[in-house]
Amino acid sequence: MDPLLTIEHVNGGYQRTKPVLHDISFTVGRGEIVGLIGLNGAGKSTTIKHILGLMEPHEGKIKVSGRELTDDIDTYRKQIAYIPETPLLYEELTLWEHLEVTAMAYGVEEKVFEERAEALLQQFRMKKMKHWFPDHFSKGMRQKVMIMSAFLLEPDLYIADEPFVGLDPVGIKSFLQRMQEMRDDGCGILMSTHILATAEKYCDRFIFLDQGRVLMQGTLEQLQSQAAMPGADLDDIYVRMTEEDSHE
Amino acid sequence: MNEALKVWEKRRQEYWTLAVKYLRLIGNSGFLFTIYILFLFGSYYYGQFLEWLPETFPAVLFFTLFFTWIVTRGRVRTFLKQADVVFLLPMESRLKKYFRASLKYSWMMEAFWVTLAFLLLAPLFNDRIASGGGILLSVLLAIFLLKLWNLAASFEEQRIQDDRKYKVHLWLRACLNAGVLYLLFSFMHVIWTAGAALLLAAIYQFYFSRISGSLQWERLIRIENNTVRTFFRVANNFTDVPHLKQSIKERTWLSFLYRLVPYSRENAYRYLFGRAMIRSGDYFGIYIRLTVLGMIFLAAVDISWGMWLLAGLFAYMTVIQLETLAYHFQTSQMLPLYPLKTSWKLAGVKFWIWGLGLLQAVCFIIIAAGEWLNAVIILIITLGMYFYGINYRLPGKIAAD
Repeated sequence: MDPLLTIEHVNGGYQRTKPVLHDISFTVGRGEIVGLIGLNGAGKSTTIKHILGLMEPHEGKIKVSGRELTDDIDTYRKQIAYIPETPLLYEELTLWEHLEVTAMAYGVEEKVFEERAEALLQQFRMKKMKHWFPDHFSKGMRQKVMIMSAFLLEPDLYIADEPFVGLDPVGIKSFLQRMQEMRDDGCGILMSTHILATAEKYCDRFIFLDQGRVLMQGTLEQLQSQAAMPGADLDDIYVRMTEEDSHE
Repeated sequence: MNEALKVWEKRRQEYWTLAVKYLRLIGNSGFLFTIYILFLFGSYYYGQFLEWLPETFPAVLFFTLFFTWIVTRGRVRTFLKQADVVFLLPMESRLKKYFRASLKYSWMMEAFWVTLAFLLLAPLFNDRIASGGGILLSVLLAIFLLKLWNLAASFEEQRIQDDRKYKVHLWLRACLNAGVLYLLFSFMHVIWTAGAALLLAAIYQFYFSRISGSLQWERLIRIENNTVRTFFRVANNFTDVPHLKQSIKERTWLSFLYRLVPYSRENAYRYLFGRAMIRSGDYFGIYIRLTVLGMIFLAAVDISWGMWLLAGLFAYMTVIQLETLAYHFQTSQMLPLYPLKTSWKLAGVKFWIWGLGLLQAVCFIIIAAGEWLNAVIILIITLGMYFYGINYRLPGKIAAD
């Protein structure tokens, strides 16, 4: 069976003459949380944009369940829920309407939508704000709307770009808890972050990006042995690897 | 020059460079010509209107109330920006000159509007209250002074943090203004007016200038933003103003319309556009204004071909404004990720514009009720304009998106 998400030798970027991504390859399987780790400007968000189909790779292939975006846009998109780095909300829609229109667009049945939405509001403590407009939301509340919209869809693949920014402790906990539940149900999750302590605790595998290239990838043990740093934590390995890279 | 004053001067210049650009666009759009035509018609009907106005019309009361509103409204425009809360806040005590310049500037701008309003009403004033250039001029000057007093007092009163108290002050000023203006317009002995002026000066000296408390930065920035937004919103009717942050109006009384969107994947765009149309920007406001204006014009004209022309004109103006709904979600980054067909997008916009078109046609027909042929022709012309806009102009806009 094909992995859920496959990225094969992708070169990409805004301009063909100045590629930002160089020969990126990795996979995200069903039932795993993969951390996409890198400094600011390492190419995390660009990689994510390519996966979402907002940018086209110059070379290489991106497949979800073995099929490319161009094979069938609708099927491709329906499998992915995206949590952006900065919350992107419709200023003219209330919280509840955000959830409703997202569920509509992805073809979630009305009954199912209502059940899931109520449960999410409860879990993320947003019941009171159900009919508020984004104007009255704090940064963290906005982020919660994006997270709830993603979980509402229960897709196969979650792509989360720095999901913790601005979240309160309860929000972070609910988010991570949900993610683990989704993973145990067989979903794949790709999460970019530079909060490495959290990543180390929750991700099953890691992909280190640096200057648009995959520096290393694997489980924590694999990374430790590749870096010849047994017992080291993710932070130390990452810092060491990027230092070496910049010495070259 | 004082540092703070330099900052002020620079901001004023920046604003006006931008404003002049938009004013030029407005001027080039044929708007001035429309104003000129309206002015010609207006002056003709104005004379007739004055003759028709019964002798018992309470002119003094009318002038008092109207100018109470003109004089009380408006606040000092400060050109403050959101970031000033961080960068200018530490200089608060050294900003006296900055705010004095703001007060002077606001007074000049407000004086312009006062003059405009006064000139518009001058014939009525001449006819019913008093005539003579000297009197007209001295009354205008008196209103200028009252405006200055109001601006200065309103600037001091913004230091009051409590919102309710702050509003009470506005109403108290309105009452004082009404009293003074009544004395002015009823031409009581000049001593009375002078006495009122002295009283106001004393109130300012002993009350307003002693209101303690620091500046309410958030409030000043809100006032600034509202002023700018009003101008840009007007400009937005003529051209696309990119940095206009739209305010949302919920308009709950229209929420029954959302029931026209059954829950289904095809209707996601209809769902979004419906809410954008009713709550956001000025789509609905413009629609209502143009429809009401169209009805008034239709009612005023009694030649049938004139009515047809006006119906067509107003329908065309409306549909052109409503078409911009197609661009509404252009900058949304989530929408392109949805698994939706582009054809549903066009259908979503069409649905609402057709709905508004039908409603407008009905409104226009009501005016022509009784003359069946006329009504049918107006219906055909109105819907024809919508048909043209929706089927020939709209698809291009969606494709260009």
